[in-house]
Amino acid sequence: MAKTAQERADIKAEKRYEKKHRHKFRSNPGDIVFYIINYFIFGLFTLVCTFPFYYIFINTISDNDLVIKGTINFIPRGLHLDNYIALANVSDLSNAFIVSVGRTLIGTTLMVAASGFVGYLVTKQEMWGRKFWYRFLIITMYFNAGLIPWFLNMQMLGLTNTFLAYIIPGIVAPYNIILVKTYIESIPAELEESAALDGATYLTIFRKIIWPLSKPILATIAIFGAVGHWNSFTDSLILMQSAPELYTLQHRLYIYLNTASNLKALMESGGQVSDAVLKSAMSGKVIKYTISMVTVIPILLIYPFMQRYFEKGIMLGAVKG
Amino acid sequence: MRGSKSSRELMGDKLFYVIRIAILLSVIFLFVPSLNPTRISGLINRNLSLFTAGISYSTLTDDFGRAIKKGWVQESTLQLLYVSAMSICIGAATMGIGGCMTLGNLKLKRLSSLIAAIGGIFELVGLMGIYISYSRISLTTKPEKIEPQFQNGFWVILAVSAIVLLLSVIELLFLPKAQKEDKYSIDAKYQLFLMFMPFIALIAVFSYLPLLGWRYAFFDYKVGDTLSMEKFVGFKWFNELLKNPATVRDIVRVLKNTLAMSGLGIATSWLPMAFAIFLSEIKNVKFRRFVQVFTTVPNFISWVLVYAIAFCIFSTDGFVSSLLVNMGIWDQGVNLLMSGEHTWLKMLGWGLWKGIGWSAIIYIAAISGIDQQLYEAATVDGAGRFQRMWHITVPGLLPTFCVLLLMSVANILNNGMDQYLVFSNATNINSIMVLDLYVYKLGIGKGSIPLTTVIGMVKSIVSVTLLFAANGISKLIRGESII
Repeated sequence: MAKTAQERADIKAEKRYEKKHRHKFRSNPGDIVFYIINYFIFGLFTLVCTFPFYYIFINTISDNDLVIKGTINFIPRGLHLDNYIALANVSDLSNAFIVSVGRTLIGTTLMVAASGFVGYLVTKQEMWGRKFWYRFLIITMYFNAGLIPWFLNMQMLGLTNTFLAYIIPGIVAPYNIILVKTYIESIPAELEESAALDGATYLTIFRKIIWPLSKPILATIAIFGAVGHWNSFTDSLILMQSAPELYTLQHRLYIYLNTASNLKALMESGGQVSDAVLKSAMSGKVIKYTISMVTVIPILLIYPFMQRYFEKGIMLGAVKG
Repeated sequence: MRGSKSSRELMGDKLFYVIRIAILLSVIFLFVPSLNPTRISGLINRNLSLFTAGISYSTLTDDFGRAIKKGWVQESTLQLLYVSAMSICIGAATMGIGGCMTLGNLKLKRLSSLIAAIGGIFELVGLMGIYISYSRISLTTKPEKIEPQFQNGFWVILAVSAIVLLLSVIELLFLPKAQKEDKYSIDAKYQLFLMFMPFIALIAVFSYLPLLGWRYAFFDYKVGDTLSMEKFVGFKWFNELLKNPATVRDIVRVLKNTLAMSGLGIATSWLPMAFAIFLSEIKNVKFRRFVQVFTTVPNFISWVLVYAIAFCIFSTDGFVSSLLVNMGIWDQGVNLLMSGEHTWLKMLGWGLWKGIGWSAIIYIAAISGIDQQLYEAATVDGAGRFQRMWHITVPGLLPTFCVLLLMSVANILNNGMDQYLVFSNATNINSIMVLDLYVYKLGIGKGSIPLTTVIGMVKSIVSVTLLFAANGISKLIRGESII
């Protein structure tokens, strides 16, 4: 965009003005104290939020002997990745990792597809009993029968000790459906109408018009859904009581944190330990740290890319709220 | 062509309502264990539904190994039973498809009657198979082991499928023939409904069906039992909750913890707002962004991971201990997590660590929506920094704050169990036990189903009441509802 000379001059003048004013603010000693304290407190809190991750990480990649002595506090020493390689050979952990990844991928995909489709359906005023069914859906957000009836229900449905228990109940997510519905309502209705005039069915309209246009919101709920699936712990704890092979990674981590697990305990607990683990001389501390890191790394990895979606998500919720 | 329907078609339409209800019932009955007609022997699991019997032969015949080996039951009888159950399942599915199609036009309706009739025949054939298996199994040489029995569900399912079959045949004969040039079609409104129906079923099964579990509150029930009227105890468990001294003591303690921790949460709910206000005072965009990004991270890790972090920092060989020991301040590591002191404050602290950055986002967005001219005007009038915050920013954020505050008041009993479960240990269990955790420990851990169901019931009702009250207050004050 080409700017006229006048505009350029205006912007320049504005900048000069701002600079002068900022200078004026700085010169006020009260302001300086305020800024210092403010920067300091926020800096400190940010450090408190991030340092633990850093601390755990350096302890998993440093020399295990030094870690056990407790000398690795700020700077990693004797870098190696043996701990991670060793843990990959512990069968119940790699199993839990696969279960967690599996439920995250499958569960999220189905949830997003269902939310998109249902979100589209509930925008259709002409549906038979739309208002009633929509309320039928929304009420479930504010009301639940309680933990025990839920558990007995899952038991009755045969959804205990089976992988499906992670997937099926999460397919319909009322909150996400509302988000999608609100978004679809903002898409110009003319697009749909013209397609309908050309004889497109509801399914075609959904596939060819609505789905591609609502990608931003679908991405947002996909990320929230994936984080939820990855973090979910209680369903594994309650529903998989006699199926340890279906424990999620979070559940495994919980178990390891609570057992005085050293290598011996790890073997006794049924994890098949390979030679690599035996050689690496991992103590309970290192094992716990490494499992924690394995569990948190996927979140930290996707986090920077997804930041804008996270914020969009909460704002959309706020608009509704 | 459509428009005016003949009187016969209108009559037929009315009959279809009955058919649809009958079909819906027969599909639902598939999943109700107490109506399962295949339970012709005491060896078959009481909680087995007709649907499971029809899809899984191994579940059906789980406990027959010995009976077959000894020749008490012929395996072919069980196979016949299995095939019959499968036939009923197929029949019900077929009827279900037929039932959906009855929403179409005349031509489709005729087809749907045919399909429903075929489904009905499948069901009847299956029921006949079950009857034959029953009569064969009742000839067993060891009736005391096999316990042959005949389920009343048989008659219920027979009645329903007979109705479907009969009415469908009547429809077939009664409905006028469709014009040849007509095409199969369904009205748009029913099309949309049929597409929505699978999801309605999911919602019903996972969100409404659990309400059926509330009946356990009125029975003496132990895990694995079946409910029967002899075990009906009325309001015994409600009384227990109010009168049994041990339970009352537990409940009071648990409620105290719950309210204290929720109360602390509510008392500090202004902190995210303060966080946002002071953060927005930082003029360096990069630093602000940096703070915002990194203080939000903890929100996205699970409570188990928060505990893992607490463990790595505060346990015997964690960061704090090893640092202090290495510096010579402590002689040996101390596990700071293993202490029962200040549990409420510690839990509040972890909650804030995890949530404050995230909760602030909503306020940060609200601040950017405040009219900048207000600040300029205030500055001209000589307002200082804190005056501007207090008189412009805070009032600008108050509506958002009020909504969130009302929501957290409505959720005062629901503080979730993840956090408290992972942080609980032998030393702090008394002060960390919140209602959700108590229900989990008592219900899942100790199998005290009726009592915990009562607690869950009361909790749900209180929560909903609070939510409506909060909504009412919001409507009254702001003229806007929050749900």
